[in-house]
Parts: sequence; C-alpha cells; structure tokens
Amino acid sequence: MHDDLSAIATLVDVSKRLGSTLVLDRFSLAIRAGEVTALLGPNGAGKTTTVGLLTGRLQPDAGTARLFGLDPARPAARMRMGVMLQASGLPDALSVGEVITLQSGYYANARPVAETLEIAGLTDLTKRRCGALSGGQARRVQYALAICGRPALLVLDEPTAAMDRASRQALWATVRYAAHQGTAVLLTSHDLEEADALADRVLVMDHGRLVAADSPANLRARAGGSVIRCRTALAPALLQTLPGVREAGDDGGDRHIVTADAVATVRALCTADPAVSQLRIADAALKDAIATLLAPHQRNAA
Amino acid sequence: MTAVILPAGIWRREAVAELKRSWRLPQFLLPTVLTPAAFYALFTLAIGAAPAPTAAAASLAGYGVFAAIGPALFGFGAGVAMEREQGLIELKRVSPLPAGAFVAAKLVAAVAAVGVAVALIYCVAILAGVLLSGEQWLALALLHLASTLPFGLIGLGIGMRMSGKGAVAIANVLFLGSAVVGGLWIPSTMLPGWMRTVGEFAPSYHLGQLARGIVGADTIGSLPLHGAIAVAMTIGAAVWAWTGWRRNPA
Repeated sequence: MHDDLSAIATLVDVSKRLGSTLVLDRFSLAIRAGEVTALLGPNGAGKTTTVGLLTGRLQPDAGTARLFGLDPARPAARMRMGVMLQASGLPDALSVGEVITLQSGYYANARPVAETLEIAGLTDLTKRRCGALSGGQARRVQYALAICGRPALLVLDEPTAAMDRASRQALWATVRYAAHQGTAVLLTSHDLEEADALADRVLVMDHGRLVAADSPANLRARAGGSVIRCRTALAPALLQTLPGVREAGDDGGDRHIVTADAVATVRALCTADPAVSQLRIADAALKDAIATLLAPHQRNAA
Repeated sequence: MTAVILPAGIWRREAVAELKRSWRLPQFLLPTVLTPAAFYALFTLAIGAAPAPTAAAASLAGYGVFAAIGPALFGFGAGVAMEREQGLIELKRVSPLPAGAFVAAKLVAAVAAVGVAVALIYCVAILAGVLLSGEQWLALALLHLASTLPFGLIGLGIGMRMSGKGAVAIANVLFLGSAVVGGLWIPSTMLPGWMRTVGEFAPSYHLGQLARGIVGADTIGSLPLHGAIAVAMTIGAAVWAWTGWRRNPA
C-alpha cells in the first residue's frame, strides 16, 4: 500500500492531534487513479481530519501526506485536485458565473466556464448572486467549483448531506460520470447507500484507525451473509452466544442478529425463546457489515 | 513531478473580485470610511474658534492614520473572522490559490477603502485652509496608505484566531484605543503620562509621529527611530498573522 505506484494521494503512518484528542493514529491511505474510494465511519472517526490533511489545510504531527508527489500545503500540489467541502459558504455578493470564473482562473487547465455551468446544471443561474441561492443550488455551485479545474482527484466531503433524494441521485450520476472519465474520487459519507452506489473501495475508520478496506461486495460478504430481525426477550449478549452469530444488537425493542449461518441461528433462537415473534431474514446490507466491523472497537472504547 | 506553474494573473483577478465584493456590500466598510472625515471636520473645524491652518495640518496628520486603521482592522479582522465562520477561507485554502494572493487581494480592497477615507479628509483639510507642498501631500498620502499594512496584518491575526463577534469587539477596542493612545485625536504631548507609555507600544503612535513630521508639526523623539519601530512592528504583525493562518485548520 505504501509503495503503490498508481497512488495519486497518500497518507503514510500519519498521526494528528487536535487539542487533547488523538484524531488520527498512525493512519495510512492510498488513493489510486480512476478509483472511487469511500471513507466511512462514525462521527469523530477522523474522516474530516483525513480530508484536511490531504487538502493541505492541516499538517500531520507525524508521518507524511503526499498529493501528486508533493506536500499538499503547496498550492501547486492542489492544482489537480477539486474539493467539495462539507460546510463551506459562497461569497454572497458575487454571482454564480463570477465565482466559477474566479475559481477556474486558479487552475492551469481549467474547463471552459460554460461547460462547468452545464455539467453542474447551473446555466440558468449564471447571473444569480450567490446570496440568493437555495441550499440545493448552493451545493451545485460547490460541486461546480470542485470540478472546474478538470481535477484528477475529486474530494467530496459529505457531498449529499442535507440534499433531497432527486438532487442526490443527480449528484451520484455526475460523480459516476467523473469516475468513468478516469477521475479518482475520495468520498466521505455517513450514508452507506451512497458508498454502496458509488464506491469501488470502502475504507472503514474508527477512532482514527483503519478498521477495514475492501470492496462493498466483499465487506457485505465479511458480515456473514444474513441479518435476522425479530422481537425477543433475550438480551443481545445472550444472542451473541448462539451458533453462527457474528454480532447482535438492540434496535429499540427489536433485535438484529448478523449471522454466518441463518438456519442454525434461527433454530437455536426458537429453542432459546419459544415466544420469539416477527422473525425476518434478509441478506446483510453494507450497513450491517460495517456495524459488525465497528462493534468490537466501540465495545473497547465504552 | 515537475513544478506546476500557477496561471498568470491569479493575483490580479483575486484582487478585482475582492474589490467587487466590497463595492457591492458597502455597509461593512462605509462607516469606517466616513467616520474619520466626519470626526476631523467636527473636532478640528466646527468646534471652537477657527483653528490656525498649522493646527489643522497637525490634526490632518493624525486623522489620516486613524482613517487607515478602520478599514484595515474591520476589513481584515472582522471580515476574515466572518468569512472563516462561513467556510469561505476553507474554500480558498483547498484551491491552488496561494495564501499570498488571498491576503494581497484583501489588502488591495482595504487600501482602496483607505484611499477614499483619506481623500475625504484631505478635501476637508483643503477647505480649512491647510497648505502643504506637493511633496508633502505625496509623502503624507503614501504614509497614510502604508499605515493600512500593520493594522491589516494585526486584523488578519485576530480574524484567524477569533469568532466573528469576538473579532468585531476586539477591532472596535483597538480602533478607538489606537487612536487615543497614539495621539491621533489629541496630541501625545497633551495626554496623561500612562497613556503616552501605552502609546509607545502602538503602531499608531509611531505612524502618527511620522505623519506630523511630514506636515511640519512638532514631534516627540527621533523620526528615523519612529520609522524603524513602525517597520519592526509591521514585521511582528506579519508573524502574528502568519502563525494564526498556519495554526488554524480553516
């Protein structure tokens, strides 16, 4: 991973402390050309800090960050990267066209402004002041700012947070298109559906460390195949001892059980609690896979 | 990887965009642009008997420095803090725009506002009968415009460390405080001793003395020393601004 020649952005053994919290703990990451990488993890896992280090806003305390072979703190390193930040504003007094023209001027190989506006669906809003945009329109301007320089690496920090379903689908389509054109994408998300829909590779983070790195399909397989949901009086700790069970938890009254062997688990469950009801069995989703991966860490931390 | 060359004109375009923004949102800068000329007209000319042109010229020296402090402290200090809260600075920092171009653009906008503010004061001064030679006007204008730099850098350091509201409060205190202890309103010779002592640590005092020297008013101490101290304070302010920029994640 460290000597991956196709990597265009890397963190190698990076530690970062913010205040008294060790946010990243010898964390390594390699983003390869033409690949969509999703960074998943609970709040405080270190996702935004990872983005901060790769985009040059933060300096590692230990280890190295490299962007196209350069220190990301150097403006030239950021020439081939486009970033859509989680909570960044826009200059209210400038129009959409002015902001995008200004940003395009930062890049040596920028897209024509009209083309950027077209891709982001902003052609009709060119003359509108940024201060007069709706939330969804402002997000589209943010996306336009990220792609106007024809980036080889597109970094999207929680891109669809607070978007409605239609805007989300539209953004996913444009991200898929960018990836299809050979752009590497790093995506942080809370939304597992988003990672499942877009990512070639999912990196699961927790407490500043890498917990798993795999394709969504392999991660699902690692979860053990099936999820059982039911209503039972048995405690999750007891359910964990049933045959085949990887992880069991409480979903507010209902229990969920991730298992490698659904038949054996159900048989044992019915024996242990004859009153079990509302039994449902489904294929494990990525969500269950990640819950399984995160569970031991969260138990250690608690 | 070969060196990547930043596009030509990146600094200029950033400055033009910044000027456009200030022009379209004048409510932030207008009060600081108009206040100094209004104060100068009120306190120097309207109150009391018509002052001797030499007294009006001495006041002009101080009020011009005062005019530079407002746009510099508010444009940089409060402006940067608010932009930081809105995530605008973060947006610039993840782009290939060099930090220098960002700061220079803000400085150009502040100097433009200072230019308007001091031009208004000069108009009032001419109406009051202040007579200076061409060289004196030029030197005075350059000094007044240059006064934007140390206060802009102090403001940037504040803006990178504080919330928008906190930065506005501090900028207000520094704006009025620098004017008083720097002897920009009332000559330092008429201030209580402790205020003069505090003034020694304010760039406004040293800049004010230099400006008084240019118009031929009485000054305290050596002018080259005031110049050297003003330069040293500007360098100190640059370090304060730079460390604020470096340590703040956004």
